[in-house]
Amino acid sequence: MFLRTFLRPIIMHQNRREFLRFSSSVAEASSSESTESSIDESDLPVRMENPFRKERVQCVLCKHQISPDYKNVKLLSQFQSPFTGRIYGRHITGLCKKMQRKVEQEIVKAQKSVLMGTVTKDVQFFKDPKLFDPEKPIRPHKY
Amino acid sequence: MPSYEALVILRQMPRQEVITTLKRTAEAIFSKGGFIRKLDNLGHRTLPFRVFEHGIIHKTGTAFNITFDSPSKVVFDLNEEYGRDVDIVRSNIFKAEEPVKIKCTLQEELQPPAYRKGVIRMLRIARKGQKEKYPLNTGLNYYPFQK
Repeated sequence: MFLRTFLRPIIMHQNRREFLRFSSSVAEASSSESTESSIDESDLPVRMENPFRKERVQCVLCKHQISPDYKNVKLLSQFQSPFTGRIYGRHITGLCKKMQRKVEQEIVKAQKSVLMGTVTKDVQFFKDPKLFDPEKPIRPHKY
Repeated sequence: MPSYEALVILRQMPRQEVITTLKRTAEAIFSKGGFIRKLDNLGHRTLPFRVFEHGIIHKTGTAFNITFDSPSKVVFDLNEEYGRDVDIVRSNIFKAEEPVKIKCTLQEELQPPAYRKGVIRMLRIARKGQKEKYPLNTGLNYYPFQK
């Protein structure tokens, strides 16, 4: 089926003389039509982009082009629970899949090298601005 | 591009001893055929949890970040040497990474399940496992033979 539909125009081209004769006759017919009916071009619909199209949604880190680094503990601790020190999931942080993965990797690196707590969040970061609300996740909690 | 980053945490000690320890850690890299590109002091800090190392419990330490180039087989030796050093509380050698350039896919992830790429792929795999059903062509709406 696939081959047949795509081969058809090629087969037509093989009989080239016939094809050319046909196309020239069509062109003549169309040119004669356009001269007969004069169209006011200002009345024609204008081709334009959809003005109501919404902007592409981006996650916080992608939007500001921030790449998480294990030395930047202040940034990473924003994705940590103040109660348990655990990393918030993607349904809470609202990051894209790749960025969430990167953040988790960097947090684990920071915890390995004793820059960041595993079960605690540093008290000096408690009053940092909140990037998201854990009480209102994007998708419902598993629990 | 620098190949490795060593994050070393030294134990709490006088300034002069910190300098000698830092020299020792740096010379370990030089002696094994590497060279240092950058050395950052990340400051004296209270550790987020107590670290039991070389028979002492450490609660404070000074963090240093050493960016260096070296052959890859040196990393194992360096880890071993830093592990033996009494003045080093914790040392980790990571690959130095450039800032990531990720193309955000949040737009696609927020679509309803039927439009998500992963779900479509899962459905295709599930369909593959099912047996193909052939029409009987008997004109009857039931199977006429014994099963």
